[in-house]
Amino acid sequence: MRFCHVVCSLIVFLLISVSPLFAQEKFEKESRIRKKDIPPKALQFVEALPLAKKVKWYREEGLTNTTIEVKFKYEKKRYSVEFDTLGNVEDVELNITKPGLPSGVLESFSAYLEANCSKYNINKVQIQYTGEAPDLLSVIKGDDKNLKLNIYYEVVVVCTYGKKTDLFEYLINEEGAVLSSSKIIFKNSTHLEY
Amino acid sequence: MSTKRFFLFGIFVWCFTNNTVFAQSSYQLGALPTFNANYTLKNDWSVNGRLESRLLFQTGRSDGFINRDFNYQLTDFALLGAKKVGLKSRVAGGFLVRVEGNEIIFRLIQQYILVRKMSGIRFAHRIMTDQTFSKSEKPDFRLRYRLSTEFALNGESVDPGEFYIKVNNEYLNSVQDLTYDLEIRLVPLLGYSLNNRYKIEAGLDYRVNSFIRGNARHTYWMNFNFFIEI
Repeated sequence: MRFCHVVCSLIVFLLISVSPLFAQEKFEKESRIRKKDIPPKALQFVEALPLAKKVKWYREEGLTNTTIEVKFKYEKKRYSVEFDTLGNVEDVELNITKPGLPSGVLESFSAYLEANCSKYNINKVQIQYTGEAPDLLSVIKGDDKNLKLNIYYEVVVVCTYGKKTDLFEYLINEEGAVLSSSKIIFKNSTHLEY
Repeated sequence: MSTKRFFLFGIFVWCFTNNTVFAQSSYQLGALPTFNANYTLKNDWSVNGRLESRLLFQTGRSDGFINRDFNYQLTDFALLGAKKVGLKSRVAGGFLVRVEGNEIIFRLIQQYILVRKMSGIRFAHRIMTDQTFSKSEKPDFRLRYRLSTEFALNGESVDPGEFYIKVNNEYLNSVQDLTYDLEIRLVPLLGYSLNNRYKIEAGLDYRVNSFIRGNARHTYWMNFNFFIEI
């Protein structure tokens, strides 16, 4: 029986120390970055805003590209601004609530969801602005007149289809037409569950 | 807010029971190496296997008695089948076989898990019932609740190659031979995500029980966990 005890302990320790642990995989990674690592152009863009609170900077490494993202609160609204690695602004995203969607957009999008989901719930809505940097700065400051901006909406929806329920992110245009959709894969939570 | 309360309560209990308030308290120090493997099947089913050993390094009492003999205590083999029942929830059921000395102990397990995410933090609520059967003791019935909290140390979520903090706080109500007991566990861990399939964790597993009857028993385990997605 003593031999069995030693073997059991050894198995546990050996399994913990196996070498395939260090196998490489492709992944998307988001990490905080320090001020010195922020592209000057991106920093300049954010410093043009009268922000009272601290902003958070991230580097997002995807499968094909890397972007710099900044998140902040301005006038009680949550924004995130995405830049390329040179600091050129790519888009501005503003968190809004479901009623914040224009009625025409909501109607068209709801019709799409009703056709594709037996049950659905809109979880999160963001307005996505793309355009020139001065116009994007103006829209954050609340001056949205005479701006040349493209407006899209990013909507996260819990959708039940068949026997499955999943979370999807949709990109829709100002007419409510779905331009793209992707299933959101949750990060592994085995270590939290067992 | 409720999470903060749980933490504060856990810390309060730890400080209170650790202060030798109870006259005849005892303690144990040891290690708990754990290997956990999860295998995803079709149609939202999965299987989870766990192997855990208990190694005791020291025992003692509040009257000054200390025993520093190394003692292998037991090994647990657990197997659970799980089914995703909602977007972020899962039910699981299975069994655990404990090899302790010359005895084999058998435990049935049922659990429900709900995982929630906020910016930079993930919570997992686990409600579990188990029934333990052995030849030497009367059946033990337990109702457990565990709150697990994971804090990303870099960014808004834990990515491969990043460290995280995980804190488990569990309350175990047990009834054995018509005697009720409550055990409280507080487990702070430092984890590292090697990649999407492997995670390692190390930390302290503190447990206190029998304090309702006035002879609190404290156990301190060094916890080493390894998780793999097959």
